[in-house]
Amino acid sequence: MTDATISTGQRLRRSLGSHEAILFVILVIALIVLDQLTDRFFTTSNLLNQGRLMTEVALVALPMTYIIITGGIDLSVGSTLGLCAIVLGVTWQNVGLPLELAVVVALATGALAGFMNGWFITRVRVPPLIMTLATLALYRGLAEGISEARSVRGYPEGFYILGQGEVLGVPTQLWILLVAMIVFWVVLEKTTFGRALYAIGHNETAARFSGIPVDRIKLIIYTASGLMAGLSAVIFVSRVTTTRSDMGTGLELDVIAAVVLGGTSIFGGVGTITGTIIGFVLIQLLKNGLALTGVKGDATIIVIGSVLILSILITTLLERRRSRD
Amino acid sequence: MEGGTPATAPILKLDGIAKSFPGVRALKGVSFEVRPGEVHALLGENGAGKSTLIKIISGVYQPDEGTIALDGRPARFASPQEAQAAGIATIYQELLLFPELSVAENIWMGHAPRGPFGTIDWAKARAKARELLESLDIHDLDVTRTVGSLSVGNRQRVEIAKALSHNARILIMDEPTAALTEHDVERLFGIVRRLRERGVGIIYISHRLEEIFTLADRVTVLRDGEYVATRDVKDITTDDLIAMMVGRRIEALFPKMEAKIGEPVLEVENLVRRPMTRGVSLTVRAGEIVGLAGLVGAGRSEFAQVIFGVTPAESGTIRIGGQPVRIRSTGEAKRHGIAYVPEDRGLQGLVRPMKILENASLAVLGRLSRNSFIDRKAERQLAVDAVRKFSIRASSVEQVVNELSGGNQQKVVLGKWLATQPRLLIMDEPTRGIDVGAKSEIHRLMSELAQQGLAILMISSELPEILGMSDRILVMRQGRIVAEFPRAEATQEKIAAAMMSDVPVAGAA
Repeated sequence: MTDATISTGQRLRRSLGSHEAILFVILVIALIVLDQLTDRFFTTSNLLNQGRLMTEVALVALPMTYIIITGGIDLSVGSTLGLCAIVLGVTWQNVGLPLELAVVVALATGALAGFMNGWFITRVRVPPLIMTLATLALYRGLAEGISEARSVRGYPEGFYILGQGEVLGVPTQLWILLVAMIVFWVVLEKTTFGRALYAIGHNETAARFSGIPVDRIKLIIYTASGLMAGLSAVIFVSRVTTTRSDMGTGLELDVIAAVVLGGTSIFGGVGTITGTIIGFVLIQLLKNGLALTGVKGDATIIVIGSVLILSILITTLLERRRSRD
Repeated sequence: MEGGTPATAPILKLDGIAKSFPGVRALKGVSFEVRPGEVHALLGENGAGKSTLIKIISGVYQPDEGTIALDGRPARFASPQEAQAAGIATIYQELLLFPELSVAENIWMGHAPRGPFGTIDWAKARAKARELLESLDIHDLDVTRTVGSLSVGNRQRVEIAKALSHNARILIMDEPTAALTEHDVERLFGIVRRLRERGVGIIYISHRLEEIFTLADRVTVLRDGEYVATRDVKDITTDDLIAMMVGRRIEALFPKMEAKIGEPVLEVENLVRRPMTRGVSLTVRAGEIVGLAGLVGAGRSEFAQVIFGVTPAESGTIRIGGQPVRIRSTGEAKRHGIAYVPEDRGLQGLVRPMKILENASLAVLGRLSRNSFIDRKAERQLAVDAVRKFSIRASSVEQVVNELSGGNQQKVVLGKWLATQPRLLIMDEPTRGIDVGAKSEIHRLMSELAQQGLAILMISSELPEILGMSDRILVMRQGRIVAEFPRAEATQEKIAAAMMSDVPVAGAA
């Protein structure tokens, strides 16, 4: 077969036309433009600081990519973050657990919250949109109920290393994010689990008929989503030195925007971790760069929305031209 | 010529109708007519072309060749709307009503009586709906109830009333009794007779021969898309009809080779999963091909999916290689050495947007991986081997399955499941919708696999395939096995009679 000779050219064209590549170009252009507009943008300290601010959204966007690839959605991540933050504060201050143990309880709470979503979605067959919309309200309500509108502060100094400290000159949480990115990338690209996610997203029935444990896999990814929201909560609390029940409100929108901007199809079956990474980096840099050039908050949202539409538009147009070839 | 029926001129007359789809010749030289006030039954096996003919009459398809005449004048229906305007109404198996709307709203959907300002005159609509229903001798149906709250029988009556609201002169009924209780069937017959008295021509499709003898005046038989004959019902017998339906020679397409039949691989006793599997017992041995025949809706695929763990059994026992097993998921079935090549390739068999490579390995990812990391080289080798072994015509293993022909897609499914090295292979309609060449290749493969000692359970609605490939034939009806024939004794007539018998199935469960 002339397979190899054709595919070199094809592959090149395919990778140039891929959504990730287009996004990457947009990212580079954004960097150049923003650098021209303000000299405070393209500095190491600013960029590292932006990484710090981005981490909470980024950590949750990784499992969200898995969930959306399977054709699902998790709207409850923001509320889960809020709930975990409160659980952290309350178990440490009011219950009096050692902080390390409180962190573990907060992470477990996140995992449990995600497991609840997954259990109802797989066993009771509640559509993910409905289930996580319900727990979006439920978990936030729980957080508010437990906190009784009090905030928790005064954590020990050592705890702030996570959210404010540095390791080897790089913000601590960026190291955590780096590890998480690698793990989520490897699992999706290299393992049977990742392959199963794509198969489920394209055709759940066929995946089931192939002997793939569809329900168990869904349970795992929703649990992972909750767990990562818990991890984000701990980092968030450490960064802002306080715990409040409204933490993470609206987080789900930023997360889903990053994932979709990264090229993951809301219909399932398509998406990459690389895309998601470019997605959340681009959103954070646009937000920051525009703020630095004096653009007000509302206009920032308009720009981000426009970039989202633009990136999807370009990909769709290229896709259409390719299928015509 | 046909003595009994009054020799009135037909309302509708079709002549020399032919229709092809890519790769399939669905109809060829079919003639058919309906007279006012007759019930004309249309009979044929699955795939004989009944549905295609109905769709041509109701304007869904246009014929490639042949003429349609309405009241003696040539007619052409470019769309279902045009056929409807000409007075042809169809009642499909799955009723096309809006469950949230009321009876009257459903009946008048699209052509409700109007009031002075172009608004819908609901009082009038309800009154006229009531009139229509009463003209059908239906007095117990409240026209303000939502259709979703009605029984299947009542919904069907609404559908008939709706057809009449369009002043239908020809009513096509596609398996109208399939989902009805006995009482509802009686009432339906009453309605049909009433319509006949009114001069409506009725095209009646049913697998139940008894109904045809009770209700129909004439019957037309189709076979393999060709016209066989039209007869007066009072001049023929059940045996005549069955012979007309199946009476074709068995093509020498099936190179079934002798295989050594060994120990039982699958033993099933009294397996129940309601509503479709109601006490099935059977055995499949190593090297044996067991054919499972039955009408659509007899519960064959449902039974296969109980064995395969898609819908686990409620009671009964399954033994694999003599060991009792519980199968609660497809994964467990796979681990017990069961493979299932499903009926619906696109939905159940393949992930069509994915590559051949990824589909071929989907059922054996566990084996192709180390610590759950996929061994890409082994995966590619598996796909390349499958493409060569089953001569799958594709540009490369990177090709997306969606771009392959039906026959090649089926070979990918087969390759995917044989990669699991099963002991029992269940094949559900293994050659449906694929061309003749690929068909005989798949049959050859099945034969070879049996020779290698694989136990094969083949579900098929094509009797020649069942007769050609099976060592033993089981017939399923109403969720139970009702007959068994060794290869030597099986004939199309015997199997068809067992499939279509109206004797109630004795309760085994």
